[in-house]
Amino acid sequence: MGPGEIAIDHADGGVAVITFSGEHDLNTAPELRQRLEHAIGVGKPIVVDLSGAAFIDSSIIGAVLDGRREAHQRGIGFAVALSGGAQPVERVLEVTNLTATLPVHPSREAAVGEARSGAPGR
Amino acid sequence: MTAEGLQLTVAALPENLAVVRQALAGFAETIGFDDNGIANVKTIVTEACTNAVVHAYPEGKPGPIEVIAKPRAADMEITVRDRGEGFQPRPADPDEDSLRLGLPLIAALSDSFEITGGAGHGTEVRMRLSYERHANGDGPAGVPDAPETVGTRMSIAPGETARMVLSRVIGALATRADFSIDRLSDTVLIGDAVSAHAAADFSGGTVGLEILDGDGRLDVRIGPLVPGGSERILEGLELPGGTSLRKLATDVEVTRADDEQEFLRVVIDS
Repeated sequence: MGPGEIAIDHADGGVAVITFSGEHDLNTAPELRQRLEHAIGVGKPIVVDLSGAAFIDSSIIGAVLDGRREAHQRGIGFAVALSGGAQPVERVLEVTNLTATLPVHPSREAAVGEARSGAPGR
Repeated sequence: MTAEGLQLTVAALPENLAVVRQALAGFAETIGFDDNGIANVKTIVTEACTNAVVHAYPEGKPGPIEVIAKPRAADMEITVRDRGEGFQPRPADPDEDSLRLGLPLIAALSDSFEITGGAGHGTEVRMRLSYERHANGDGPAGVPDAPETVGTRMSIAPGETARMVLSRVIGALATRADFSIDRLSDTVLIGDAVSAHAAADFSGGTVGLEILDGDGRLDVRIGPLVPGGSERILEGLELPGGTSLRKLATDVEVTRADDEQEFLRVVIDS
């Protein structure tokens, strides 16, 4: 129940995968923004994998949307993954229609594939 | 008086959003919300409080956010109120995007909501969510105005509801204060002892407490209690094997405000 954690996983060679555990809101949004800025600065494709998050709010979505816009402006691949996600996370992405518009990929592999291709989101 | 509502007051700081969320989730669970409903409660209360954290008070001077949950006949009403100056736009706000998403989320996940207030009056967001409720009492809580506070202040009916809410709130605060797992379970015992206690020992019939946290320490002020209530809470935690609240805590203190009221203060270190 403590503050959630955010990490970067470089296991998918050449792609920075940002992973989450615990709950995330305005308290951890600045850390996510820093992680995204750093990854964009490095210039590698980026995947935001929300599968481990127990909760996200609009501050986190705002940070993801800003990161995605910035990445695309610089021609960096960017994709979002959610596999077996927590109910509050799925629900928030659905009601904001982001599941379809981002889109949110049902697996990290699919998101990594899209980020590598460098294709901007629809 | 049947007092089955929850009142919680926290300082308008980002780190308190999780505390409010845990309290409301625990409360929603005990009154009969299913997992989907609890998820919705967590989201809408977080969004409403985020709005207050970001916009109610000048930067660096956080005032209180008051959260009130009232079970009603067919739904629960959640009120989030600040005492700020109304909407305080901040230059180059990095969360501009998220604020644009916050209200639509509340609109989508609640059955109805309204926002009132204006410059100098603070802002109040009132949201309602329907659910299948357990048959355990009726009538909303009589909720008094909370004084301004820097800690987390709560008022809730004793019993199972209080136990669920207190264990989650105390757990969230203790984790934030870097308590070890062992000490975390000690703090939860305090919550259990307080919430199990008879309503008769609390002035007004609701469990009142204020928790200050930080630097590896929780400082819990329980009350107002009727005279002798503190001793009965302490005796309630005399467990087989010699465990007692006095042994678990760093400091235990009873203060009498006057002939009618007293407070029990429990300090516990990580």
